[in-house]
Amino acid sequence: MNTVMNTVMNAASLYGLVGAGLFCLGLYALIVHAHLLRKILAINVMGSGVFLVLVALAKRIGGGAPDPVPHAMVITGIVVAVSATALALTLMLKVATATGRAELPDDEGSE
Amino acid sequence: MAIMLVDVPWAVVLILLPLAGAMGCVLWPSVTKTLGLMTVFGVALSVAGLGWQLTENGALRYAVGGWGAPLGIDLYADGLSLLMLAMTALVGLGVSGYSIGYFDHKYLLRFWPLWLFLLAALNALFLSADIFNLYVTLELMGLAAVALAALSGGSAALSGAMRYLLSTLLGSLCYLFGVALLYHGFGSVDIAVLAERLEPNATAWAALALMSAGLVLKTALFPLHFWLPPAHASAPAPVSAVLSALVVKASFYILLRLWLEIFAPLGEGVSTLLGLLGAAAVLWGSLQALRQTQVKLMVAYSTVAQVGYLFLAFPLVAATGVTALNAIVYLAFSHALAKAAMFLAAGNLLRFGGHDRIADLDRVVQRLPITLSAFALAGVSIMGLPPSGGFIGKWLLLQSALSQGRWDLVAVVIIGGLLAAAYVFKVLGNAFTQAAVPHTSRAVPACMEWAALLLAIAAIVLGFMASAVLPLVAIGDPFGLLGARP
Amino acid sequence: MVTTLLQWTFDALLGLVLLWLAWRSLASTDLFKSIVLFIAFGLLMALAWARLDAPDIAIAEAAIGAGLTGALLLGALARLRAVVNEEGVTPQQQPLLRRFPVWLPAILLLWVAAGLAYVVAALPPYAVGLSAQVAANLDASGVSNPVTAVLLNFRAYDTLLEMVVLLLALLAVWSLDIPLAGVAAAPGLILDTLSRQLVPILILVAAYLLWVGAHAPGGAFQAGSVLGAAGVLLLLTGWRLPPRLEGLPLRMILVAGPGVFVAIAVLTTLTSGQLLQYPPVQAGLLIVILETVATVSIGVTLAALFFGSPPRGKQHQ
Repeated sequence: MNTVMNTVMNAASLYGLVGAGLFCLGLYALIVHAHLLRKILAINVMGSGVFLVLVALAKRIGGGAPDPVPHAMVITGIVVAVSATALALTLMLKVATATGRAELPDDEGSE
Repeated sequence: MAIMLVDVPWAVVLILLPLAGAMGCVLWPSVTKTLGLMTVFGVALSVAGLGWQLTENGALRYAVGGWGAPLGIDLYADGLSLLMLAMTALVGLGVSGYSIGYFDHKYLLRFWPLWLFLLAALNALFLSADIFNLYVTLELMGLAAVALAALSGGSAALSGAMRYLLSTLLGSLCYLFGVALLYHGFGSVDIAVLAERLEPNATAWAALALMSAGLVLKTALFPLHFWLPPAHASAPAPVSAVLSALVVKASFYILLRLWLEIFAPLGEGVSTLLGLLGAAAVLWGSLQALRQTQVKLMVAYSTVAQVGYLFLAFPLVAATGVTALNAIVYLAFSHALAKAAMFLAAGNLLRFGGHDRIADLDRVVQRLPITLSAFALAGVSIMGLPPSGGFIGKWLLLQSALSQGRWDLVAVVIIGGLLAAAYVFKVLGNAFTQAAVPHTSRAVPACMEWAALLLAIAAIVLGFMASAVLPLVAIGDPFGLLGARP
Repeated sequence: MVTTLLQWTFDALLGLVLLWLAWRSLASTDLFKSIVLFIAFGLLMALAWARLDAPDIAIAEAAIGAGLTGALLLGALARLRAVVNEEGVTPQQQPLLRRFPVWLPAILLLWVAAGLAYVVAALPPYAVGLSAQVAANLDASGVSNPVTAVLLNFRAYDTLLEMVVLLLALLAVWSLDIPLAGVAAAPGLILDTLSRQLVPILILVAAYLLWVGAHAPGGAFQAGSVLGAAGVLLLLTGWRLPPRLEGLPLRMILVAGPGVFVAIAVLTTLTSGQLLQYPPVQAGLLIVILETVATVSIGVTLAALFFGSPPRGKQHQ
């Protein structure tokens, strides 16, 4: 109980928990929704969650500069995420133009 | 001169050369073909150079930027990565030659930069010793692969590519979460440093679960294989070859490294699970392949099955050490060559008849003998018949399974081989018969036929070269397995 | 070890609002509302980064994560609505899920969330990472902002690959060959005024962020994304690149970022014998060159990603 209190009192871990929550929220939305734009939003939310976990725990308690390596990793991650989002949105447009719906076709392989 | 050549940083060349080649193709589209082919040849030569370097000097650790782990990023080349790079270079040569005949000019200009970037990503991935760097290479590889898969432009290809993109992004994010946990739990993203520092606590278990889940999704292990058949079947033939032969092996390679180097202290429960899923993949994939009516879908499901073989060896590596690792390497390498040949041959059939329905293959054996020989030879390797690389791989797998008394794995391997024979012969049988409805045919360029045949021959030749290839696996003593009893 | 009550309350509230915004964005029935809520989510994430002592990320998130991603999403929605009639369609469930009840993935994911929360909470509360090594080597790196040092010196190889990813994404989007978005009508009064005032300011801000990145929060990616935002604004007003610049000059600017990076990589390998090992004396200069070229390249790439359609010159696909 004490560790739980310590965790909750510690702001850094708080954001880490938020990150884990965002990851799971995004994953749920990715699985459940059929519309491709919502799936892309879900992936972005998941990405933000992981970045929060990376940075939240890089913060030092009691002042002092935070650990810069996770910060660099997250900046890299943000750029990769926008690249992937741009490709995903364009591909979604092509799928919608070709099939008339912005959803993946229902097929037997989806087990 | 010889001494100078050994000191060239071939690992660096392997990464920078395709990057430069790709950017050159973007800047000067008129020289794309020449520049692209020269780049792929350069990569193949560099792999040979690296191989020489490794046999002379042993495993190589290269500190990028001079900083060294854990502050900087390290490149690491041992026997396992060398063979993966060789596999990439050989399949790359075949696919590049094939693409010259396959794509018309407009698509060729789009294909080459994407393909060279994919090649650079693969090389960087097999050489990296840093788990965050591996994430970046995984993303580079994934985006390039998706773009290539969507090239043919039809609605099937676009939907398949979209599903592939979402799956690969999900896999990468799970992997990245694991990286975050490992970094914050143990203070480094370098594989060697993590291997020293890891303790079996909750953080390590969670990281293992997340990274394995993400990588298993990217490798299309049953039951997370749903994205593979539509993507690989509807992509252009040379792209399908690269996707099945190389891209799925890359995430498998990372999983193997992580399991055996970092997560070794965590025990064997999960590797048993992976072995079970591998067995299910072999049986399910082979059965689905048998049910298919189109060649490319059949070959794609065959990939699902063959990936299962790789995972069958997982529970055996800890116990049997080197033999299981040799089996994995041989299975991966020969599958890459054979599957690439099969997809290229399927592409030829598609180009020839305008369709790839198995039942309607109209006496192809007479009109495309080279293509059909390629398909048959590739099938020999996939089935695991001697003499072929696939046979050696299965033989090693059976050896290590028998030494552990795992008769269940032996049974799965044998049944898988029989099912593979069934679906290969289904295609070959129909190639000898006349179709119900005759149709017009298009000529298939010679380079396309020969590329398929040469890759298939390479898969067979690999079966003869075990004595030369297997000692290479041992360079650098991957995972310290040489001490374990085979 | 315990932050003040006010700070803690602020952080807790911010965390809850982030979760709530993400949920509302993903669950909303209207796609436009989803995107707007997502942009708001991005801006609040920037606030969270600021609370976590990560100003570099805050600027990058605001510009790229909220700004450019938001622009991409809205642009895609507009194009999608032109192709597919979706008005009044409730969010469909994934076909797979019609076979299973909806609460099944929810239960599974709650369980996963609990596990992840436990693991995250179990991590040591203070960083066990690499700040000591970074601080020790900072003087040799050529800059005094530790994040820039990591990005452009210690882990420059990652940054090289990341810039290639950005270029690759643009090549991939171009290979998909989506049609032009239609001839833009003359910009309305707001857009006209705003773009005339903002674009020069954005360019100045980008230059400032680039310059200051060496010793304070900022750097090539932040500057490049602000430049990209300026480009997006220009494109929205109907401005297009002059046709003679659409061919080789455009490609040269796009390739310049990763290209110069690869050139420096080759040079350092040839001269000092180690990939991307900057000679300590010239490290600062090399980083400045890299960042400048990268800024322009990133800005143009992001604007081109927003525009979507490839150049239609005769030598192009």
